[in-house]
Amino acid sequence: MSAFEIAVLATGFLLILAGCFCLMRTYHIIKIIIGIEIAMKAVTLFIAYAGHINGEMGLAQSFIITIIVVEVVIAVVLSGISLNLYKKYKSMDLRNIRKLKG
Amino acid sequence: MNALSYISISFLIIPLMALFICILLKRSRQNLGFYLMGLFTLTQMGFALHGLVLFNNLKISEFLFGLPITESLTDIFTLKSVSLVILFCIGLVALVSLLIANKTMPEDKKLSYLRLLSTLILGMNGIVLINDLFTMYLFIEIIGISSFVLISTTKTQEGLESAFIYLVMSALASILILTGIAFIFMRTGNVEFSYLIEVAKTQGNAPQNALTYLSYILIISGLLIKTGAVPFHSWLPDAHQSADTSVSVLLSGIVIKAAGVYCLITVTEIFGNLYVIRLSLAIIGIITIAIGALFALHQNHFKRILAYSSVSQMGYMLLGISAGGVLGLIGTVFHIFNHAVFKSTLFTNAAAIHEETHTLEIDKMGGLQKQMPITATTSLIAFLSTAGIPPLSGFWSKLLIIIALWNAGFIGFGITALVLSIFTAAYFLRLQMNVFFGQTPESMKNVHEVGGSIKFAEVFLTIITVAVGLGFPFILLYLEASGIL
Amino acid sequence: MEITISICLGFMLIFAVIAVMNKSMLKSAIALALVSIMLGVVLYLLSAEWAAVFEISVCSGLVTVISVSAISLTNEDKGQLQKKYMDKKRMAILPYILILSGFLLVFIVLTAKIDLPYDKISEPVSDSLSEVLWNSRQADVWGQIIILLTGAFAVVTLFKEA
Repeated sequence: MSAFEIAVLATGFLLILAGCFCLMRTYHIIKIIIGIEIAMKAVTLFIAYAGHINGEMGLAQSFIITIIVVEVVIAVVLSGISLNLYKKYKSMDLRNIRKLKG
Repeated sequence: MNALSYISISFLIIPLMALFICILLKRSRQNLGFYLMGLFTLTQMGFALHGLVLFNNLKISEFLFGLPITESLTDIFTLKSVSLVILFCIGLVALVSLLIANKTMPEDKKLSYLRLLSTLILGMNGIVLINDLFTMYLFIEIIGISSFVLISTTKTQEGLESAFIYLVMSALASILILTGIAFIFMRTGNVEFSYLIEVAKTQGNAPQNALTYLSYILIISGLLIKTGAVPFHSWLPDAHQSADTSVSVLLSGIVIKAAGVYCLITVTEIFGNLYVIRLSLAIIGIITIAIGALFALHQNHFKRILAYSSVSQMGYMLLGISAGGVLGLIGTVFHIFNHAVFKSTLFTNAAAIHEETHTLEIDKMGGLQKQMPITATTSLIAFLSTAGIPPLSGFWSKLLIIIALWNAGFIGFGITALVLSIFTAAYFLRLQMNVFFGQTPESMKNVHEVGGSIKFAEVFLTIITVAVGLGFPFILLYLEASGIL
Repeated sequence: MEITISICLGFMLIFAVIAVMNKSMLKSAIALALVSIMLGVVLYLLSAEWAAVFEISVCSGLVTVISVSAISLTNEDKGQLQKKYMDKKRMAILPYILILSGFLLVFIVLTAKIDLPYDKISEPVSDSLSEVLWNSRQADVWGQIIILLTGAFAVVTLFKEA
């Protein structure tokens, strides 16, 4: 494998790792949005690189556009619920609403 | 052909129409909205049955269609016979959920419940009709967002907490599925099911590329999180316990099955030839049955026991998928239908008990059989069906799955599944003894039978259980005659 | 071209780590916007022009505006933020994890001689984006319409005061 391939694939994996780490270890609701978005950008990178190799660039671009629409909807819904929680509990901390046991 | 194309288009157009009607509906007319949605779900059930009859008459097994918007009528959706059975289940569980929500949902939240229910039905109808991996991910995302907002509608503290756990696990699952799809796209330039099945047939059982194995592991892990299999089941009990009962019916009745088990069925067609993957699915299935049953023995909250029971039944469906072959597929699909029916009955009973006694802790209840006879009888029949007692319908689906496991060579798994169904009977027996039999405590002396739509839902579902159970041998004979078995 | 892409990927990683580890939410959101811009440049260099335009205009524009407005409407005191969330301490282990796993990945790939299953980079098939999107991926367009309607209804439901 050439160095360029290794660079692209390694960056993608590290971005997914960073995104999932942020998603699971944070206590602030807006950081959840940031974690999900970073992981989805890593997937966008994988799909674009796959399209570059295969030659199917039209298909890859339509996948990327659909993923961008999903990102926007997730960001909007999460911001909405964070505003609602702030109005009700006056805090953005997830630990304030942790009461159930698994 | 004309009737079939109208039926298949209506599965997508009718929920869209319901969506637009709910936009225009005013607050004062929301009961009209309930009647309309009930009518639409009944229409969906009727069309699904009519579609099965038409498939039988025309002797076809799948039907491609497209939505007539552009001039070039491209075939983008596929209607299979498995899809028709699941569409019938979707209509049935949505109808039961509407009947419960009529009584238990607070008045100012009914309109938003109707709107989100239409988008949820739209997402689930979409998943069983597409023939493409990436569109499957898109509709899984639609289902995830709709159910997240439905869980958090009643803005209590527990509701929001469990909604956030559900959201984090669902986002993790989406990322895993999407990465797997990106790797499959890197390997072959096409993500349609028909193309991938062709590729899988030519490869058979040969050892694959490392990238291929990685993509399969990622997609299966993501779908297992959505199904609620062990060790990813931690969101399921909290989400069921704290959501409103009408939303719990939807979650346990169709969401974990349409977004989880059905997608696993379609994805296993692509790479089910690899023995390693089938073996790992069987092992996960057995562990899921065991852990679900063991945890259900300790709980004290009615809906939490039902949630762990759902986890356990998902294990049976995973065993059916791993067995493979026609018998395994028929067993799994029939178990999906049975689980929808009897789990909805049990949740309806939970709603009835909550309406009358305003609590769901089972150690505060007892001896309710004298005061709520219909609820007790329907609960008993649902429990017998879950445990697999003949001649009710649950017995047939478990039998089919175990026979399929025997045929596929997983003999040890079959015997273990048979032994573990004793646990199923055990925890349900404990539930029945605590709630319906025994001494009535002082606080429960003056509860009476629940009336109205909840009683109708219970009786209707019990009639379906008994009828399908008694009539299933005829369906088996018919399938054998038409050469499928 | 490959060197430019590698430099942009390096910047993307640095900005992503800043976005995850920073204790001020505003700076995290702006770091996310920078990640989007770098990704847009990479997409353009990989000959995906329409996707690059969508990425830069929507992700680093719309999503950043939405998050910044949500952050500024739920403003908490900066001293409070630092003490309560302790993001820098909780996530301080992240750069070490990333560097370690980066070395591990490169090591595995080089020793196991894993290869991507293709021979050479193919020429772009001459399908323009609009044909593909509207003809063969029409189900995706329907899915996008439905998910946008779902998002709209979700926001309406969440903002109704109980």
